Amino acid sequence: MSKKIFIDFKRCIACKACEVACEMEHGEARIRVFEFPDLTSVAFNCRHCEKAPCMEVCPVNALSKDDDGAVVLDPLKCIGCLMCAVACPFGIPKIDEYNKIMDKCDLCAHRRAEGKLPACVSACPTEALKYGDINDVLWAREGKIVAELKDIGDRTNVLEAYLIR
Amino acid sequence: MAEKLVPVVCPWCSVGCRFYIVNVNGYPKKIEFDYEHDTRNHGKLCPKGVSSFQYLRHPDRLKKPLKRVGERGEGKFVEISWEEAIREIAQRLKEIKEKYGPEALAFLGSERCSIEENYVLQKLARALGTNNIEYVCRMCQSTAVAGKGMVLGHPGLTNPFEDILKAKVIVLWGYNPAATNPVFFGQYIEKAILDNGAKLIVIDPRKTKTAKYADMHLQPYPGTDLAIALAMLNVIITQELYDKDFVAERAEGFEELAKTVEKYTPEWAEKVSGVPAELIRKAAITFATAGTAALLTNEGVNQHANGTRTVMALTEMMVLCGYFGKEGVMSGAIPGAHNGMGAGLMGVEPESLPGKFPLHAEEHRRRIEEVWGFKIPEKPGITYVEMIDAILEGKLKALYVMGTNPAKALPNLKKVEEAFKNIEFLVVQDIFLSETAKYADIVLPAAAWFEKDGTAISFERRVQRSFKAADAPGEAKPDWEIIVMLAKELGLGEYFNYSDVDDILREINRTIPPLAGATPERLKKNLKGCMVPCPDENTEVPRLFVQGFLTPNGKAQLIPVEYKEPGEVPDEEYPFWLTNYRLVGHFHTGTMSHRSKSLSKRWPEEYIEINENDAKRLGIKDGDLVRVETRRTALVFKAKVTPHIREGVVAAPWHWDFNYLTTDVLDEYAKMPELKTAACRISKVEG
Repeated sequence: MSKKIFIDFKRCIACKACEVACEMEHGEARIRVFEFPDLTSVAFNCRHCEKAPCMEVCPVNALSKDDDGAVVLDPLKCIGCLMCAVACPFGIPKIDEYNKIMDKCDLCAHRRAEGKLPACVSACPTEALKYGDINDVLWAREGKIVAELKDIGDRTNVLEAYLIR
Repeated sequence: MAEKLVPVVCPWCSVGCRFYIVNVNGYPKKIEFDYEHDTRNHGKLCPKGVSSFQYLRHPDRLKKPLKRVGERGEGKFVEISWEEAIREIAQRLKEIKEKYGPEALAFLGSERCSIEENYVLQKLARALGTNNIEYVCRMCQSTAVAGKGMVLGHPGLTNPFEDILKAKVIVLWGYNPAATNPVFFGQYIEKAILDNGAKLIVIDPRKTKTAKYADMHLQPYPGTDLAIALAMLNVIITQELYDKDFVAERAEGFEELAKTVEKYTPEWAEKVSGVPAELIRKAAITFATAGTAALLTNEGVNQHANGTRTVMALTEMMVLCGYFGKEGVMSGAIPGAHNGMGAGLMGVEPESLPGKFPLHAEEHRRRIEEVWGFKIPEKPGITYVEMIDAILEGKLKALYVMGTNPAKALPNLKKVEEAFKNIEFLVVQDIFLSETAKYADIVLPAAAWFEKDGTAISFERRVQRSFKAADAPGEAKPDWEIIVMLAKELGLGEYFNYSDVDDILREINRTIPPLAGATPERLKKNLKGCMVPCPDENTEVPRLFVQGFLTPNGKAQLIPVEYKEPGEVPDEEYPFWLTNYRLVGHFHTGTMSHRSKSLSKRWPEEYIEINENDAKRLGIKDGDLVRVETRRTALVFKAKVTPHIREGVVAAPWHWDFNYLTTDVLDEYAKMPELKTAACRISKVEG
């Protein structure tokens, strides 16, 4: 299973540390934080889809998946036709106005190569951004719920045992 | 390319985050997160931390000493040599001292410089015979220091950060950590709330990103927090929710406090603050019955003319509930800058000696005089805001400013500008040509935080060493080196015989007993540092007040507090309450953050928040230009119409020109100016 960045909306405080961290790594931020009038905020980046429409429509095969499952762009192949931008349901690939080719999140390939986390995940002070395998991320959440239920169960048994005595 | 990672302490707020600067042949290339060490930030950083190398190589950096050639405030200078600059400063200071006496000189230290640098600066002031030495703590923490000092004998944050994870209720009063300390918020407060089920009570006129997580949000008019605090005390006492054993054993003055707060019912507080009485009652009960509680305050409480009184009432609430000295508890105010606490502890204050001992504490005076080898002047100095009046009255002739920006940070800025136009001699030592530096006779280029070794004390009372990670541009020098050069030129070289910061820190270890154990060797070996007090190399004190308080008899002093209005309240002429707040992407007066590309791009300009009902009444739409006028002057802001601020209150971020509007009325105990409230009127700018 490939690794991705998962977003826990309820933890985001719109501090934009992810945006700035990404900008430090890539010159332009490839993750954006959207703020809504009710104070909720959502950090939004490439989903690196399992069945990625951007990859499917690219006429020159400039987009491919790397070993970790990240959809990465080969800038030497890209012709700036914008097909990926049109196909992406999340509106993620953006044109690099200077080079006239596309620019998108590669889950910080250079950092992953050194065993480091993507910059946005490294920075996120609230851990609203998590990098990992979906099963691990879900299991961490499930595990916590299961542990809590178990704890309640244990306490109930103790209480019952006490009452019986 | 020789690339190396140098561990540094973050130069912005006071959480004490650590990270690395990636240095390539002396040039700062980028930052890298520190996940290897047991850091307080667990490797995490906020946007300011992540982009903090950007301002280092900004083209505006001062690279050579400058001498003014134009009018004061105009910003016209010529470059001069270091020798010339130091010679002229020494000569002018000597002349002024001889002609008017040492009290015509004043020095401003900095919460952004290291403890070593602040230590040598206050030593220089005292060697010259004056206690006119201050720093901006007067404008952010002094009411908290005075208030907690009176009740508990010590103003520090009581517990280590981990304790907040065990708190059952967290009260954030006049404090928006989601914007001011995002890492502290994310790693500790948010985890306590979302993972450990702590209840959150927020007291703030604005619905902030912090208040989004609140179980109860109390929205008082700015500066009326004291009314709520007194009403909560009333509820805790009348409903007998206080810890009777704790109060009997570890506090005194309960009866008188109980009698005083009798009249301050939640219904009375509702009339004063606009917060429903039932909500105040509910908050008091939740706080008092929680078992463990964290009560953290910041400028929303501090920066008022009744700030000390509010801090006293809040501290007394913690005492009554018997929370001090336990795990899962926290109480404190949060300094704005990374060395806010350190500079104060170094004695950069007009009435205290290094170690925060009062100037008149004979035993400590003698001990410090012995270490220094000269007499410490006995007459207390004047405070920060009072210095401006002293300049205008002609009593203060020379001001030496190190790494701080009073021409933007002080209230009632027109008056401040007037003072700086009329001062006889002004020296500014900084990394950029700040608003203050434009008035200076001589400007000295200083090295920035990453360009020198130095020690800082975070708001957790943690002493940490930061290392030199980049070369300073041009001829810029570390602040301590500049002070030592000046001291030698002034003929005081024998008292300033330091060859590096370690020499200074060793003297600090000798001079300030609570810091005796924070030796250079210990801090270099242990990046996590140690918590003050650390009387020897193997000791630190993570939790304060476990046994007793630091008052003379070890008992908390429950001094009765009466209600006092803020310095300026709305009337018919100026019907709105005006207050300010901070943005997550900017820092203080913006000297550094406005020059950080990634930050100024995201947080580009000021604006004013207006409640949607008020806006409708005044015909103001989102994005309109509005004129905001106080008794001092008027400014034009872009309007941000929002439901997140209470009716009758308008608020703007303070990093730009906000302080032209504020009043310089002072807190009676701490001489803190009322930066957080003013009465104003607003109107739409037509056309």
